[in-house]
Amino acid sequence: MRQLHAEWTKLRTSPGTKWLLAGIIAATVALSALACAAIVCRASDCGQDPVKLSLTGTLLGQAVVAILAVLAVGGEYSTGLARVTYTAMPRRLGVLAAKAAVVTAAVVAAAAVAVPISMLAGHALLPAQSFTPPASAVLRAGAGTVLYLGLIALLSLGLATAMRSSAAAIGTVLGLLFVIPILTQAVSDPAWQRHLEQSAPMSAGLAIQATRDLQDLPLSPWAGLGVLALWAAGALGLGAWTLLGRDV
Amino acid sequence: MIDATITVTGLRKRFGPTTALDAMTFTVAHGQVTGFVGPNGAGKSTTMRVIVGLDAADEGSALVGGQPYRRLHKPLHHLGVLLDAAALQPSRTARDHLLWLAHSQGLTARRVDEVIDQAGLGSVARRRAGGFSLGMRQRLGIAAAMLGDPAALMLDEPFNGMDPEGIVWMRGFLRSLAAQGRAVLVSSHLMSELQDTADHVVIVGRGKVIADTSVAQLLAAASQGRVTVGTDDPAAAQVLARSGATGVTVTGAQTLSVTGMSAQAVVAALNAGGVTFSEVSAHRATLEQAYLDLTRDAVEFRAADGPVTR
Repeated sequence: MRQLHAEWTKLRTSPGTKWLLAGIIAATVALSALACAAIVCRASDCGQDPVKLSLTGTLLGQAVVAILAVLAVGGEYSTGLARVTYTAMPRRLGVLAAKAAVVTAAVVAAAAVAVPISMLAGHALLPAQSFTPPASAVLRAGAGTVLYLGLIALLSLGLATAMRSSAAAIGTVLGLLFVIPILTQAVSDPAWQRHLEQSAPMSAGLAIQATRDLQDLPLSPWAGLGVLALWAAGALGLGAWTLLGRDV
Repeated sequence: MIDATITVTGLRKRFGPTTALDAMTFTVAHGQVTGFVGPNGAGKSTTMRVIVGLDAADEGSALVGGQPYRRLHKPLHHLGVLLDAAALQPSRTARDHLLWLAHSQGLTARRVDEVIDQAGLGSVARRRAGGFSLGMRQRLGIAAAMLGDPAALMLDEPFNGMDPEGIVWMRGFLRSLAAQGRAVLVSSHLMSELQDTADHVVIVGRGKVIADTSVAQLLAAASQGRVTVGTDDPAAAQVLARSGATGVTVTGAQTLSVTGMSAQAVVAALNAGGVTFSEVSAHRATLEQAYLDLTRDAVEFRAADGPVTR
């Protein structure tokens, strides 16, 4: 409890936090609206999944989430503050858990603002279409996107704890998210391509946004989010192992 | 009151090929200021990091009030710690830095304002700590160490970067903490900083304790049997050597340091030899000299050694 209180105060009093949270909302909404406004549609069908399209900004928003979560940890190592933290709170796993809780809570709160606005903007900007996704799928896509961004925060936090360097951790997270999909495109064997899409954190996790042609997805929406959750758990495990095994 | 002693027993730690701690052993008693002195690289900071559990020792134990630090519930109530005054997030205000620390110990903002006043930071508490001079950061570090009203304090180089006024304040503050019955461990690589502050010194070099003694004893031992002679007569050294001095050392342009003779015997010998002199006095060592005598063999990097060639 004290660890949660301390980590919350720390996050709250870091001047960068509110700007980065605003950045998550702005980046997600802006790119989503842009994608919806720019799409060229034929008479009654855009040939697109309207819900997924209206959440395009997640691609950019997740980068800001990664920066926020990495800096929350990496900034302590670059300034030496980590020593003060672990002197005041010697139970290291408790600190990691508290930090993960407050950072994820802040990211989820920002995402819970960004996602509905993006979806409403998409609804307003996209022309009426013949395809209307079922309400349950829309709800699942929206709630799932909020969870997706929370899991990206945990993945980033875990890697930053393991690497202790903001630059290296941001590079690794963005590499995992954006470089694997690019490499996937370069793979010619369709079976391997499918395996990569099923296991890469971004392509698997974003399956949660699909509301159309679900049978064509490499894996089901919730299974996809589960793959991302495994990535996040692995990163946190790596961070915990480093934290316990190494001198601060 | 919470048991305030810090007990370090047989700590060993290696960083690759370098031995950082080599059976480091000492105790910090309550009610006095214990100076922790040694050249840079002697293992002072490593010892302190091991005491608070940031670094793990290969062997040995470090206890605060009889318990390993990492097992303490609300540890800053037992031991106030200042390891590195520069370890701050520069964009956070001084008050907010203290606030999250207070929350980590179950304390409130009221206690934060108390320690801000105690450290003399009232006028700058709401400024960003990144703009603070090193001396101001040391005061902020002291405020942080005082948050839990701890029975023991451990401060690594708290005099670093302080202006003369700050040094005087710090000395008075450390004395008052000891007078309140707290155990205070203060490291420094400059013995002179601890003159008139420390009651006890633990002198370390190359990861082990060279001397663990009260300041009064250390000064007495270093002064013992030495006589300072002020003279510009080049014959003085020869005269004294013939009259029974066991050692004559030139310590300055016109000063000699003599061992093996009392001041009276020196005066008699110089008079008999017709040597003129301006001063003969029983030598009173400074803490710095006593320290240099002790660490002469243990100093890791000496300016005169020049660069190491391989």
